[in-house]
Amino acid sequence: MKYAGLVLANLRRNKLRTALTGGAIMLAVVLVCLLLTMPAGLDALLANATNNTRISVHNKAGIVYSMPQSFVRKVRQVDGVAAAVAMTWFGGAFEEAGRVTFPNFAVEVEHIGAVYPDYPITAQQLADFRRYRDGAIVGRQIMHKYGWKIGDRVTLRSTVWPVNLDFRIVGEIASDIAPLFWMNREYLDQALKAQGRSGLGIAGIIWVRASDPNRVNAIMRTIDDLSRNSEAETACETEKSFFSNFFGSLQGFVTILLIVTALVALCLVFIAANTASMAVRERAGEIAVLKAIGFGRRVIFGTLLAETATLSAFAGGAGVLIAVGLTRALRVFSGWSEALGPLGNFIVTVPVIVQGICLSLLVGLLAGVVPSYGAARKSVAETLHEIF
Amino acid sequence: MLLPLSYSLRNLRARPGRSLMTAGVIALVVVACTLFLGLISSLKRTFATSGDPLNLVVMRKGSDNDGSSQLSLEAFHAVRFFDGIARDAEDRPLASPELVVQPFFRTRSGGRENVLVRGVEPVALAVHDRVRISEGRMFTPSAHEAVVGRGVLGRYAGAELGNALEFGRGKWKVVGIFDAGSSSFESEVWVDVRELANDAKRTFPYSGIRLRVAAPADLEPLRRRINDDPRYALEAQRETDYYAKQAKSADSLYVLVVGIAVLAGIGAGFGASNTMYAAVQARTAEIGTLRALGFSRRAILSAFEIESVALSGVGFLVGAGCAMGLSLVLEWWIGSVAFGASTFTTSVVTLHVAASDLVGAFVLALIIGVCGGLGPAWRAARLRPIEALRKA
Repeated sequence: MKYAGLVLANLRRNKLRTALTGGAIMLAVVLVCLLLTMPAGLDALLANATNNTRISVHNKAGIVYSMPQSFVRKVRQVDGVAAAVAMTWFGGAFEEAGRVTFPNFAVEVEHIGAVYPDYPITAQQLADFRRYRDGAIVGRQIMHKYGWKIGDRVTLRSTVWPVNLDFRIVGEIASDIAPLFWMNREYLDQALKAQGRSGLGIAGIIWVRASDPNRVNAIMRTIDDLSRNSEAETACETEKSFFSNFFGSLQGFVTILLIVTALVALCLVFIAANTASMAVRERAGEIAVLKAIGFGRRVIFGTLLAETATLSAFAGGAGVLIAVGLTRALRVFSGWSEALGPLGNFIVTVPVIVQGICLSLLVGLLAGVVPSYGAARKSVAETLHEIF
Repeated sequence: MLLPLSYSLRNLRARPGRSLMTAGVIALVVVACTLFLGLISSLKRTFATSGDPLNLVVMRKGSDNDGSSQLSLEAFHAVRFFDGIARDAEDRPLASPELVVQPFFRTRSGGRENVLVRGVEPVALAVHDRVRISEGRMFTPSAHEAVVGRGVLGRYAGAELGNALEFGRGKWKVVGIFDAGSSSFESEVWVDVRELANDAKRTFPYSGIRLRVAAPADLEPLRRRINDDPRYALEAQRETDYYAKQAKSADSLYVLVVGIAVLAGIGAGFGASNTMYAAVQARTAEIGTLRALGFSRRAILSAFEIESVALSGVGFLVGAGCAMGLSLVLEWWIGSVAFGASTFTTSVVTLHVAASDLVGAFVLALIIGVCGGLGPAWRAARLRPIEALRKA
């Protein structure tokens, strides 16, 4: 700490260079953090949104294949099942967007709360969901994206069923993890029957909550056995495996992102190393004089290294702060983007911040080591000889 | 009088370490930018080029993709005989009834993806004339056979010629592989439409019709006639429009990538600036001498600007070389990138970085060179000869 003054004075010596180097490092850290938020969004979805007692039951052939609605009653009878809810894809397009921009499902209002006790929805909102036939519960991100509030009315045009339905928003899932839109299954069923159709006899996915995490595997086996040799054989999986399969196709994209992130980080090291070596070369004479008057090699090495490390730590810290702000803004403006799926969540998790800070420190150290070591090692006579 | 070009270029060689570092930074930016632009153009190639300008897509009114549309047999038989539809040698209309289902496929790595399976009749090959069986043969109806697109080949368990592909409720023998000019059709599996409807237990046998019009002039009248027919509530759109709409989902990706490239570019510009400033500082005396000799400010400014642009040029060349090399490695390593579109189907995008993707990176490198050098060059030109000489 004795040499802190020296380090700071050296940084102030060439303000323009310090600013340019700091700026470059800062931008690179912003980029790296921004890119890291994307796989973090995927991880966060898999880690937080999924619950180790929830099971998905769907047709073995695919989620676009359905199951008879009556199957959910059989599932509820299975030993160890605490609750089960049937969900059917509505494929509703919000008129202003013109396309399906968020997942929306018809659900059984009386069972949904029991399957998702971990979702932040108030008891009052769930009661309203049961009371109003046209009620809807909407994820926070969608509410943000379209500027909706509880009590608002919205119309969705189904791209699957031949209906347009009006909804009143009665509740909000106050979490970014579930960008969903839930509607009352009865409402859709009656709308279909009003058209002289047979109504909604199918379920797309049945979500089951097990009473005990240790019994999940047994429950999954029992349910699959129940459907064996029926018209719709099922395949059960845990919620985690369901989502990781569902978004598994984004892995290739994540790989490319990580490669780019690595390149950017490499860029950073180059920039900082370049500057550090310039700074050292410029002060060669000065360093020789310091050595000549008795400063040890270790001190010289340490102060030079501290210089790049301090700069990159400050710049990196600023970069992380900017990245956090920027991702917040991106979340508000872009909302849940369908093309990017969970990658578009831009979730800045604590690990992302830690990684950003570690990265900038590492860059400072890596960039400083070579020139500082070179300067510290050279003998006084050699250096002075080069100068004069 | 301007300074000779060799002055600027020699200066780069005079401090090879520093020049290489700066060129390296620019090269890395070029690599990152090229990879991203390559990814985007691969995406665009897959989605935007899928349609044929002479084709119409007929779906139920209000459906935004054929995966969610439903159509009855009567509707198909009515539309099939409308005027303006092209006919084959045996005078049959080129109208392809199609059913689209997205079952699970097991990937090689043990995961699963929703793959678009298209039920078609043999007429489909005449309507989609860019789809061409490149190996094997077309399926025989009612034999539980399938032909697979090039993107599907080898990606899923059993997706090889002669093997059995398992999806839906049964097994399908792969008898052919088709090529579709890198369009999204290459991510599909085609089987007999009746067998597929049976397998998926669809009440409506078709999800849509693809029509080929006889002449470009027939397209609009035919489209209007289908849209205005009160019996079936159908909607016809150009196939190119249909795929352009589907490709819109990649737009947010575009914005993101351009943003990343710009940020990285500014960062690299700072780095380049730094080197140039240092170069100016180190050569204060030299610049003073040059000014004293009578070289104008403009001469000094352009000499330094040329130096900076040359540096970014070297960076671009190195970066372009690395990017092309890396893209080959990536193509071999990742092969294709799968995208889950909003329709729940996986589009396999073959990652291919083309030379045209380097254009964007070139512009970026040029901007870095010009802007990065401007400040230092300006400072060098403004140095007063006497002060510069005294400082030294």
